[in-house]
Amino acid sequence: MMGAMLMVGGIGLVAALILGIASVTFAVKMDPREKAVLDQLPGANCGACGFAGCVAFAHELTANPEAEMACPAVNKDGVEAISDILGRSLGAGDAMIAFVRCKGSPADTITRYGYVGPEDCRTAQIIAGGPKACQYGCLGLGSCVEACPFDAMHMGEDGLPHVNEDKCTGCGKCADACPREIIALISRSANFGVRCISQDSSKEMKQYCKVGCIKCRICENTCPFEAIEVTQGNAASIDQEKCQKCGLCVSVCPTGVISSKQPPRKVQVIAEKCKGCGICAQVCPVDAISGKPKEPYVVDISKCIGCGMCIEKCPADAIERLAG
Amino acid sequence: MKTFKGGIHPPENKILVKDNAIVELPLSKVFFVPTQQHLGAPAKPVVNTGDTVKRGQVLTEPMGFVSAAVHAPTSGTVKEITKRVHPVTGLLAPYIIIEADGKDEWAPGLPLERDPFSMTAKELLNIIRLSGIVGMGGATFPTHVKLSPPKDKPIHTFIINGAECEPYLAADYRLMLEQPERIIDGARVVMKVLGLDSAIMAIEANKPDAIRLMQEKTPPEIKVEPMKVKYPQGAEKHLIDALTGRQVPSGGLPMDVGALVHNAGTVAAIWDACALGIPLIERITSVTGQGINQPKNIKVRIGTPLKEVFEFCGGLNDAAKIIFGGPMMGIAQYCEDVPVMKGTSGILVLTEQETNLNSYQSCIACGRCIEACPMRLVPSMLSRLGERSMWKEALDFNLLDCMECGSCTYVCPANRPIVHFVKYLKTLQREAKAKGKEA
Repeated sequence: MMGAMLMVGGIGLVAALILGIASVTFAVKMDPREKAVLDQLPGANCGACGFAGCVAFAHELTANPEAEMACPAVNKDGVEAISDILGRSLGAGDAMIAFVRCKGSPADTITRYGYVGPEDCRTAQIIAGGPKACQYGCLGLGSCVEACPFDAMHMGEDGLPHVNEDKCTGCGKCADACPREIIALISRSANFGVRCISQDSSKEMKQYCKVGCIKCRICENTCPFEAIEVTQGNAASIDQEKCQKCGLCVSVCPTGVISSKQPPRKVQVIAEKCKGCGICAQVCPVDAISGKPKEPYVVDISKCIGCGMCIEKCPADAIERLAG
Repeated sequence: MKTFKGGIHPPENKILVKDNAIVELPLSKVFFVPTQQHLGAPAKPVVNTGDTVKRGQVLTEPMGFVSAAVHAPTSGTVKEITKRVHPVTGLLAPYIIIEADGKDEWAPGLPLERDPFSMTAKELLNIIRLSGIVGMGGATFPTHVKLSPPKDKPIHTFIINGAECEPYLAADYRLMLEQPERIIDGARVVMKVLGLDSAIMAIEANKPDAIRLMQEKTPPEIKVEPMKVKYPQGAEKHLIDALTGRQVPSGGLPMDVGALVHNAGTVAAIWDACALGIPLIERITSVTGQGINQPKNIKVRIGTPLKEVFEFCGGLNDAAKIIFGGPMMGIAQYCEDVPVMKGTSGILVLTEQETNLNSYQSCIACGRCIEACPMRLVPSMLSRLGERSMWKEALDFNLLDCMECGSCTYVCPANRPIVHFVKYLKTLQREAKAKGKEA
């Protein structure tokens, strides 16, 4: 008994001694900043940076003084933190987010045939171009959901993928997985997007989809900032840099294919400040403001779309957005 | 009996249609003629809307050597040149729509009467090219390309393929029984083009009456060879292996081992073109399956709408799936708006009982697909790589040698859609290659 205990304890001591010596002699010298940088990276090893994983990218950032911030998943605060660690400023790009450019749920579109096979949009795409009659529409088999390393996508009850904005890092894995390039990365600050990329004419589209872009150009003609355009044969597209987030396009689109992240906040006139000049009533595109000269004007909340054009024009700063 | 290694024995189901004599389908009022009915470069229409055309008149001009012309199936006017669903790709493709005038008048001078054996090989080859003849077993590769081997690869073995190993189909069988002269004379024309003095006619042993008849009718230089009944006995590389013992190298063509294989229907079409001047405007096809009321072998003009074929065959009954070609390699159709084409070797209407719409499970590594694969590949590995879109790794497993015969999918106890995965991997490889070229 005693002998066995001594024996095992002795082996343990010897082994500990060897390990202790080895840990000192064979220690790999690691830049302590690398660990700190790694802590700031998301750790999903999605590969969007172009390196083999977060560890490899953290090493690149610390070892190569010219390495740029290629990780799309780190937010602004994270980039600043890494800049502090490295002692050099990394340019923070505009944060991006995945956006699904199709609104055609199975209820609103026509399916040509019953697909039997692997539950993957890319394998469905090779069978006569996919079961959906629209060649630009979402196949709804969830390859993007499967590809997301951040659990930021899920299939909704409408048979289309939905993006969880809190979790999405804009890595673009879902966009790569989609065989029809329906998912695009747009600026996180963008509020509006066109949920259709069809190049078919409205006549063709009416045969199989109720909610696609019919290229009627009403949005293009309505937009006061020339931020939305229907170029030859393509669905409408929004220039996010020009967009002033007035939301007029959403209210005029006949098929409702333009979506907004947050409903625009409506406005009210601050009676004490209003001088009754009437400029707001003139600029309002939906005739929601009325009143008599030299008296405080009133906003009809039911008509107001929250475009904010009156706020910009009011010389007395007498218009404000409602809370929430 | 001669055969190859691997392969499967699916139920033949030829009994449904094999004893029905060939009947001619009544002329349709409208013909939908796809401009692309072959593998290779597209063909450009040479007629315009409103033109009157005669039976056998040229409709399209091939754009390149590996391409084939299309001819008018009957006389009438060109109603429209438009896009419709193509039976092979399932996507919209250009069609020439012909409204028949009912007179069915031949183009001037047709049919001719001439002796092909008094012509030179070059003249014959040119006639075959102009007649738009393609492989009628289903692959639709332009025939004149196969007949023009480069000088360093002379052909010394010519095989006439009458195996018809696909279950259900019996069109080639009926052709051999009813019109053996067309096949034999066509084979002699091919031999003349290639300068050969012998040929082999391969027929699966489940057609004993066809073998007997051919043995009686063929001249001594054409040898009739009964083949073991096994799928895919009619695949060209496997016929060559079984009959000559030579294996076509990976990525190669039959001409690399000095062999040439033509389907019996193609050979018959070659005879029509060379002796009568008739281009490829009609074919024999089997309309069969439990889902059709009266299975028939029909002689049908190219471009005849599928609906009229079904009407002629007594309509559909409990149909769950329509396939152009055989059940193993055929292409499923999702609508009835498609026409019969040069490569439509069969029209199959299956009921739910005859189809497999179940979902699949994980690979259990049983190895049955490896045993069945006639190309000696590892289909289980290809299917698992397919699930992960790993086409580069699949190339190491000889992805491109797979001919998609479906033997692996047929035997898989986990019901895995292996061929579907292979097609997917090949698509990825093709896309990557195209992108590489662009860059």
